[in-house]
Amino acid sequence: MPLTNPLALAVFWSAATIACYFVARQIYRRWPRWYLSPLAVTPALLLALATILHTRYGEYMRGTHWIVLMLGPATVAFAVPIYEQRKVIRRHWPVLLLGVVIGSATAMASAWAMASALGLSGALRLSLLPRSMSTPFAMSVSGDIGGSPDLTAVFVMMTGICGAALGELMLNWLPLRSTLARGALLGMGAHGAGTAKAREFGEEEGSIAGLVMVFAGLLNVLAAPILAYGLKGGF
Amino acid sequence: MMFSRKAVIRTRYAFRHSRLLQLGVLMGFWCFGQAIAETFRLPAPGGVIGLAAVLALLLARRISLSSVRLGAEMLLAEMLLFFVPSVMALLDHTEFLGVLGLKLLVVILTGTLCVMAATALTVDLCARWTMRHAAD
Repeated sequence: MPLTNPLALAVFWSAATIACYFVARQIYRRWPRWYLSPLAVTPALLLALATILHTRYGEYMRGTHWIVLMLGPATVAFAVPIYEQRKVIRRHWPVLLLGVVIGSATAMASAWAMASALGLSGALRLSLLPRSMSTPFAMSVSGDIGGSPDLTAVFVMMTGICGAALGELMLNWLPLRSTLARGALLGMGAHGAGTAKAREFGEEEGSIAGLVMVFAGLLNVLAAPILAYGLKGGF
Repeated sequence: MMFSRKAVIRTRYAFRHSRLLQLGVLMGFWCFGQAIAETFRLPAPGGVIGLAAVLALLLARRISLSSVRLGAEMLLAEMLLFFVPSVMALLDHTEFLGVLGLKLLVVILTGTLCVMAATALTVDLCARWTMRHAAD
C-alpha cells in the first residue's frame, strides 16, 4: 500500500531514518570498524529501503528536512567544547589558522588537479573544489565560483564518509605527537563527520576539530569571491 | 519578593537539569543567528553566528556552562544522524554508480589524503616548534 499522505510520509521516513541510525550505532558500538561507521551503514540501509519503496530523493527530503536543520543547533553546541578548551585554543590559534590555510589550499588544488587528470571538467570540477568544508559553507562557495551547490552537497557527504574512515587510518600511520594535529587532521579533512570521529579520540581532539571546521568554512567563504575572480581568468 | 526569588531558583534548577530546555536554548540561539545573517546579509550560516554569541556569553560569564552543557553534549553525540538525509541525494544521482562515480571517489580519496597529510604535518611541526621555543 503506497503512502500518499505527506504527513504520514514525513513521520514514516523520519522514524525510519532515526531507527536505522540507532541500529547502525549499536552495530558500530559492537564492532567498531571504520567500514561500519553509522555514517555509511545508516544511508546504506535507508537507500535499500527507498529503492524497494520507489521513493525519490525529493519525497524523502520533504519529510526529513528537519533532521538536517538540526545541524544548525549542533553548530551552536560547539561553543561548549570550544569554551572548555579555551586555554589550548588561545595558545595555539595561529598554528591552527596556518593549518587551515594550508589545508584549504591543498583541498582546492588537489581536487582541481585530480579532476583534470581524470577528464572531469566544467561544473562538475568546480563543484568538487569546496568539498572539504561543512555543507552550508561548501554550498555557498560552490554557488559563488560557478559550481552546482546540489552536487557539492553530495561530494561533501562522500568526503565526510571517506574522510572519517581514512582519518582513522592516517592517525595510525602519521607520527603525530600533538592532539592539536590529530584534531586538525580530522576537522580539516572531513568536516563534521571528522569532528564526530575526533570526539571518539578525546574531548580536546573533538573541540579542536570543531574549531578547525568552523575556521575553514569562514576562511573559504571570505576567500570565495577572490577565487571566483581567479577562476574566470581575472588574474 | 520571596516568591519571585523562589521562582528564579526553580527555573535555574530546571535549566541545569533538563536536556530538552537546553536544546531549546541552543535552537533559540540558532534562530537568532539565522535572523542576524539574513538581516545583515552575512555569508556565515546562522549556526556559526549562534556559536559566536554563546561563546561570547560564556566568556563574559553572562550564562553558566551548566545551563547549556547537557543539551550541547546531546546534539554533538548524535551529530552523524543529522548528516544522513543529505547522503540520500544519491537516490537522484544514479549516474554516480558507474565509472563516473569511481572517478569521483578517486578524486575525493586522494584529495582528502593530501588535505589531511598537509594540515596535520603543518600543525604538528608548528606546534613542536612553538613548544620548543616556549620551553627555552
